[in-house]
Amino acid sequence: MDKILKVNDLSVSFDTYGGEVKAVRGVTFDLDEKETLAIVGESGSGKSVTAQSIMRLIPMPPGKFASGSIEFNGENVIEKSEKQMEGIRGKEISMIFQDPMTSLNPTMTVGKQIAEGLIKHQNMSKKEAHHRGVELLKLVGIPNPEARIKQYPHEFSGGMRQRAMIAIALACNPKVLIADEPTTALDVTIQAQILDLMRDLQDQTGTSIILITHDLGVVANAAHRVAVMYGGKIVETGNVDEIFYNPKHPYTWGLLGSMPKLDSDSDEELQAIPGSPPDLADPPKGCPFAARCPYAMKVCEDHMPEYTELSKTQKTACWLLDERSPKVEPPESALVGGSKVNE
Amino acid sequence: MARYLLKRLGFILVSLFFIVTITFFLMQAAPGGPFASERKLPPVIEQQMNEQYGLNDPLYQQYFDYLVNIVQWDFGPSFKYVGQSVNDIISRSFPYSLILGAEAIFLALSIGILLGVIAALKHNKFGDYFAMVIAVLGISVPSFILASVLQYVFAVKLEMLPVARFESFAHTILPAIALATTPLAFIARLMRSSMLDVLNSDYIKTAKAKGLNERIVTYRHAIRNAILPVVSYLGPLVVAILTGSFVIEKIFAIPGLGNEFVVSVTNRDYTVIMGTTVFFSVLLLVSILIVDLIYGLVDPRIKVAGKGDK
Amino acid sequence: MNWKKWSLLLALVFAMSIFLAACGGDDSSSNEGGDDTDTAEEGSSGEEGDSGETALADDQTFNVNIKTEPPSLHPGKASDTTSSAVLDQIFEGLTRINQDGEPENAMASDIQTSEDLTTYTFTIRDGATWSNGDPVTAQDFEYAWKWVLNPDSPDTDYAYQLYPIKNAAEAKAGDVPLDEVGITAKDDKTLVVELAQPTPYFLQLTAFHTYYPVNKNVVDGKTEWATDVSENYVTNGPFTMESWAHKDQIVLKKNADYWDAENVKLETINMYMVEDENTELQMYKNGELDWAGSPTGSIPLAAIPSLKEDGSLNISPKAGIYYYSFNTEVEPFNNVNIRKAFAYAINRQGIVDSITKGEQQPAMALVPPSIFEENKEGYFEDNNVEKAKELLEKGMEELGIDKLPVVKVTYNTDEGHAAIAQAIQDMWRENLGVEVELNNEEWNVFLDTMGEGNYQVGRMGWIADFNDAINFLEIFQSVGGNNYTNWENEEYSALLEKSRTETDPDARREILREAEALFMEELPLAPIYFYTNLWLNKDYVKGIEVSPMGSFNLKWGYIAEH
Repeated sequence: MDKILKVNDLSVSFDTYGGEVKAVRGVTFDLDEKETLAIVGESGSGKSVTAQSIMRLIPMPPGKFASGSIEFNGENVIEKSEKQMEGIRGKEISMIFQDPMTSLNPTMTVGKQIAEGLIKHQNMSKKEAHHRGVELLKLVGIPNPEARIKQYPHEFSGGMRQRAMIAIALACNPKVLIADEPTTALDVTIQAQILDLMRDLQDQTGTSIILITHDLGVVANAAHRVAVMYGGKIVETGNVDEIFYNPKHPYTWGLLGSMPKLDSDSDEELQAIPGSPPDLADPPKGCPFAARCPYAMKVCEDHMPEYTELSKTQKTACWLLDERSPKVEPPESALVGGSKVNE
Repeated sequence: MARYLLKRLGFILVSLFFIVTITFFLMQAAPGGPFASERKLPPVIEQQMNEQYGLNDPLYQQYFDYLVNIVQWDFGPSFKYVGQSVNDIISRSFPYSLILGAEAIFLALSIGILLGVIAALKHNKFGDYFAMVIAVLGISVPSFILASVLQYVFAVKLEMLPVARFESFAHTILPAIALATTPLAFIARLMRSSMLDVLNSDYIKTAKAKGLNERIVTYRHAIRNAILPVVSYLGPLVVAILTGSFVIEKIFAIPGLGNEFVVSVTNRDYTVIMGTTVFFSVLLLVSILIVDLIYGLVDPRIKVAGKGDK
Repeated sequence: MNWKKWSLLLALVFAMSIFLAACGGDDSSSNEGGDDTDTAEEGSSGEEGDSGETALADDQTFNVNIKTEPPSLHPGKASDTTSSAVLDQIFEGLTRINQDGEPENAMASDIQTSEDLTTYTFTIRDGATWSNGDPVTAQDFEYAWKWVLNPDSPDTDYAYQLYPIKNAAEAKAGDVPLDEVGITAKDDKTLVVELAQPTPYFLQLTAFHTYYPVNKNVVDGKTEWATDVSENYVTNGPFTMESWAHKDQIVLKKNADYWDAENVKLETINMYMVEDENTELQMYKNGELDWAGSPTGSIPLAAIPSLKEDGSLNISPKAGIYYYSFNTEVEPFNNVNIRKAFAYAINRQGIVDSITKGEQQPAMALVPPSIFEENKEGYFEDNNVEKAKELLEKGMEELGIDKLPVVKVTYNTDEGHAAIAQAIQDMWRENLGVEVELNNEEWNVFLDTMGEGNYQVGRMGWIADFNDAINFLEIFQSVGGNNYTNWENEEYSALLEKSRTETDPDARREILREAEALFMEELPLAPIYFYTNLWLNKDYVKGIEVSPMGSFNLKWGYIAEH
């Protein structure tokens, strides 16, 4: 299957009063048709900026593309004009945001907000757009869609709003759906529903999904492949099994370790990763995780590690994988499902 | 909705009752009767005048008579201007104030919102600073100073417009500007900060993510939300225009209701004071009701009349 | 990024410059353009002899500001200068005060006086008509005057103007029936008036608006005929009132049927009602007004110096006095020496030079110099601080006090009065060592306060109704009425009474002077200054004088070609 999206050495910085903040520093990944790629990381790792850059939603200034390319359907998105981007956004690539409370315009009916995209991109009349809107609402599982479509966002519950957002995003059958923390603001039961919905829709429509999240539980549930970001760089990628059962990067270990597990003792402490993320106005010249890594070596602070390909799908950037480094086993806490370690 | 309106009207009547009562007794308490003049009146004549206007009746009697008349919308005769009833005075002078007020409101809203939107869109650039300097000047410069400056610059020096009075549309331009400036400045600042707020909100990002162009995002999505604080300012706006009219009408020699009100207080013309106070109160209370209704129309989140839930 | 800050600064500077331009504006505007300026000749309006010499403009329209809505345009009810300014142009009495300040025959073609000077016989001239065609008759006068004197007629503040007539005061009080008042229309053309005693200024009074006739046939029985322009509003003067837009403007048109119409040049008079004096001045500069200031408008204080400087301001004496009344029933002003001390310790010239700036005359007397010329010097020296201190000591000794109580000065709210009060407060503190409190009240409240005697020192003013000394002196004949000082004096009262029956004008003058001298010895008030008329008129406006009484006749006015 062809790669629908190829991000190559993307660097995005912001010019601020404090200096140039390098939010994304040479990120490379790609996206297949009909697959879900999860980008995981903590706040400030650069995941949202990466996602928004794909749609050129970052205001420039103060943002700027320091380097790299974003190829969508063979064309570099970075070189497109604003007008061309308007033709892509909502039509070829869509995005849904974290907080459904604030992501919908409170003074417009839901129907109108869905119809906007349809009218613009598919030249529908208002009537046609209305019909399609009702269909979409049904598709995303909102009951009584004929009545709901005329309502305002504040009349929807949180979960329903997110469903509506998904309806808006999928209205024009985009090739890529970027979901920026879509379930973070929702309670757990709704989370599951939304993720199921997204998966069903993907089966039906073949849309690729980039799922941004910091919640590994969501990743396990919904993703095919995972990219782990830290300090503006991708430190490890792999398919979901590889990341969960055979993680090789200490940060990934840390993430896994800090997750509460079903089979852990209730009086065991959660393993937090000590320290805080690096200052991206003055990023470290070596591995971004070095300052917090329990296994850090001198070389880690000075040089950025290269990617080691562990398999066709798994890549890790860590000096520990270099043959000259000592062998390190992942800590107990990072082991998920205990005995299912692949070597 | 009907019930809601009835309820509001009920409140208006209660408020009016209090206003009338308080004003009536305040006026009686103020020293200086309507018939004082630099030449002392022979007591016979003063007695005659007091008699004629019922000022010698016991207070409660005057009060009751007055309430009865008010309900019939009869405000009585003017004390100072024989032969003119208060109703005459109000119906003669109100149209001037109305026209001026409407022009001023129109100016304040249209230019204020425009400036605010420009300032927000050109945030931290020249357009922003320019618009905000105008805003600060507008708020800080008292209307009577602005009025004189306008008269001087446009009427005397440039001879483009007449200095004062109300005879043609051209006559209304300067006073409307003077009246509108402070509220205009306020609306500009309000609109700007509201717009900046809105432009940073998530649903604007959503709108952009749908591929809508800059113009549609600004006008259809942003302004519709950013204008809400301005709508709630409409009530105080009417008040500001109303009270501003006292000063502006005097300076521009416009025979409007604001002018009448001020003059009647100086003249201790009891009936005119009461009449204009009641009239203004009604105007204000009704305006606020209308503003509340407008707000309910514009913002779907507000249930003004408790329209039934789904 | 510094460009942002610079642009902000620029915008501010730009804004400031507008204000600076406005403030300095008066000077530059009055220096350019010849239209506004007028050389101030001895206070007249710059006429060049008779109208025969100057060419008349095609448009004989005169625009003037009367400031406010006239409270009443009923000649018998009007009691203020705005109303009289309008009435004087549209009605006419038996006499009219001419441009020299003397009464001349108007409605009366002939006036005969009896030997004892108490009976006047007026012959109404032929050709005197009302604006509806009716002839003006003696009965019209009789009716009008008796209406004013009728105890049931409302709003007749000025009824007292008619009291020189026999039994007038008594009739007004209801003690005597109206037909016993000395006003008789012997026939359509003859009016006989009997006075209570000889009144040398009676023919001045008959020019006054309370003495105007009304059309008995039209008006009798109607109460509200004078509140609007209608067929009932019938007049007999050089102009008729064409329209009255309340609080806005009054338009007068030349009365073609007026007996002297051929000498009336103005066709239209627009009387605007602009209250704000700054606006009035702007309108004058803009050409929307042909006249600004006295008698019906006012010039803003701040503009006076520059207008004087460029010579456009006209100044003439006005028969009126600005004074500080002492409450002679209250300590320390119950002592004459203390009163004198306070009066002598005022620097009047200083006040006139620095505060009022209208070339007013410092007043050291009661009657203005336009009536008694000697009062240019007055009865004492201005700003005689030494004498003041002497008298203060003496007075305090007499009262048996060694420290003056705090003195309260009351005045009605006005920027000018406040400035003067502050200056005097300073002077008294420095010269007499007394603590002075200032207290201002709004006009109506102020009059109540004064009337009730709730004050120590109060600001007052009096403008003459007619050009005679008695008008000033009789205020203080007894306590009450317009006499706020609570002072009265038997000898003074007797002198005034004596003057009323004295027929020889010189002898009468002597008596009045004696009375004034007594008054100035007792000094129940501190005179400050005599008023002046201040006004501006375009040089093409001719034939209009402002009288010392503060009124003007538009009958002889005209617009020169320009």
